[in-house]
Amino acid sequence: MIQTSFKILIVTLLACTTCSLWACEEAEDVSRIAIAGGSLTEIVYLLGLEENIVGTDTTSLYPSSAQNFPSIGYVRALSAEGVISLRPTLLLGEDDVGPVTVVDQLEKLGLTVRTVPEEKTAQGIIEKSDCVASILGVSQEDKTKLKESLQEYVTRIESMRDKLGRIRVTLIFGINDGVPTVAGSGTSGNALLEMIGVDNVFSNISGWKPVSLEAMVESNPQVLVVPQRAVDISGGQEVVIQNKSIQMTEAGKKNQVVFHDTMALLGFGPRTLEAAEDVAMQILSMFSGVAVSKAEEN
Amino acid sequence: MAEEAGDSVQDQNWWRSRRKRVWATATPLQGTVLLLLAAFLVGSFLLATAIGAMWLPLFDMIWDADSFAMERTIFLELRLPRVVMAGAVGATLALAGASLQGMFRNPLADPGLLGVASGAALGATSFIVLSGSVKIVNGFAQYALPVAASIGAAVVALFLYAFTKRQGQLNLITLILVGIAINAMGGVGIGILQYVSDDNQLRSLTFWMVGSFGRSTWDAIVPALLIMSPASFFLVRNTKVLDLLQLGEGEARNLGVDVIRVRRSIVLGVAAVVGAGVAIVGMIGFVGLVVPHIIRLLAGPSHRYVIPASAFLGAITVILADLLSRIVVAPAELPVGLVTAMIGSPCLIWLLAKARIHS
Repeated sequence: MIQTSFKILIVTLLACTTCSLWACEEAEDVSRIAIAGGSLTEIVYLLGLEENIVGTDTTSLYPSSAQNFPSIGYVRALSAEGVISLRPTLLLGEDDVGPVTVVDQLEKLGLTVRTVPEEKTAQGIIEKSDCVASILGVSQEDKTKLKESLQEYVTRIESMRDKLGRIRVTLIFGINDGVPTVAGSGTSGNALLEMIGVDNVFSNISGWKPVSLEAMVESNPQVLVVPQRAVDISGGQEVVIQNKSIQMTEAGKKNQVVFHDTMALLGFGPRTLEAAEDVAMQILSMFSGVAVSKAEEN
Repeated sequence: MAEEAGDSVQDQNWWRSRRKRVWATATPLQGTVLLLLAAFLVGSFLLATAIGAMWLPLFDMIWDADSFAMERTIFLELRLPRVVMAGAVGATLALAGASLQGMFRNPLADPGLLGVASGAALGATSFIVLSGSVKIVNGFAQYALPVAASIGAAVVALFLYAFTKRQGQLNLITLILVGIAINAMGGVGIGILQYVSDDNQLRSLTFWMVGSFGRSTWDAIVPALLIMSPASFFLVRNTKVLDLLQLGEGEARNLGVDVIRVRRSIVLGVAAVVGAGVAIVGMIGFVGLVVPHIIRLLAGPSHRYVIPASAFLGAITVILADLLSRIVVAPAELPVGLVTAMIGSPCLIWLLAKARIHS
């Protein structure tokens, strides 16, 4: 029994290593693409292949015209028959595309499914874009061009890293009943802060978690990064800044808050590089001159 | 000893006459309703297999199998197992509801209100969150998830069983309060699991909780159907006894009904069907509660009629709810639990208002 289950395990593992190698293989027919995953939609638009799209999922919010396609539902809750009814030749899926049974069914029906591997780093975004370009059969020349243009962002972000390393930041995902929810380790929010190179004050907790007033005061972030979503559900930028627990932090007192579009910040498509650069520059400008040395004292 | 033997002979004689009387109480109206429901069931089954996000040329598919191979696969592998599972879940939920209402002699009994479904949800949730590596052991998970949900349902059912045994006959308020307490405990358990789960598990949970037949592949539903069929058989077998139970438990016992055995078979049967159903499709509310009420309103409370008729109407309701969830926002899908609750809640309020006017 144990031996067989080991065999199964090994076969599954092997299957998965090969599947990630094949994940970026060029698809035979890319004339009708269904996309499950906002960052992938963004990349397809960036490659100028949006005319081949026949359907997008509910996370495909950017560019706004991507929302005009028939919706195949949420990336993790696709419907097999729904996807098939669009008669796509290719399904591009984010690495969490699902449910697994539905993806299996679609493959059984002969649909080419490519699940694009994801690593939530700057390099990961470049690789993801490159992978999508490979699947869609973009020429080597255009792929290099894309890579270089994205690499420029990464270089600029890297150049700011040293100066940002000791600044304590928290990313706030929302404020419910006066209690802020922050990005702990393992979240896309934490990945963004790591990409910029700042110190996430809540990296010691895991997941998106509500934090008490005391915890917020104790960790005393110097800067808040706030996605637009948090502003919308809280009822305005002032509501976020004037939150009781935020008012007691250095960030709240000095009004050091960076607002940015949610999917750009956390979607980990090409736009996230741009967003990361923008956030890094805004934080840097807050600590230019005297302020930087002050920050370093802390 | 001799006296007891004499009693049981008398019982048997009584049973014979009673059996005839029960048959006699199946009125022409009830017969008509049953026939109509059966016809509607066939109709809704055909309708649901014929309509979907994808338009399928059903007649061409039969005559010209070769050129519509893909359409045939969609029909046989995507649509058919879904409709079968929707029918099975609907029938068994209504069956469970009708049996519990009969057993407790209480019109508010329902797998959801009593916390049996919460138990199943907690079992399945624990499995999703705590097993961690569900992806690798996919083949195993297919069986483990229904088993985990059934265990959760069984624990709650056995607790209810023990509680009712100790308290004798439960009154309405106590029953509802016990149900509220169990649901609250289940909610807390699920809340804790949600808190410790990561992003991915959380989103899986959310979608699992609102219910969907999207995961109904033959591989997934065959184990569930294998659990449901014998359990349903045990539930259906109790119709005569349920009618006797309506006279009161003491009366039923005097008439030779083994009340303990009946309770046990109903509680375990309900736990099994609810566990197996919830594991594959998630939470589907209100079918178990509302369907038996509608059936009783149509043609009376005799269980010989209520039990099969509830199963039919339950199947019809869920098949049509799933059909709606598939086509309303196609090519995306609505969670089917939302559709049944959306239809069920107003139905319940309407029923309550009506009952109040009558009394």
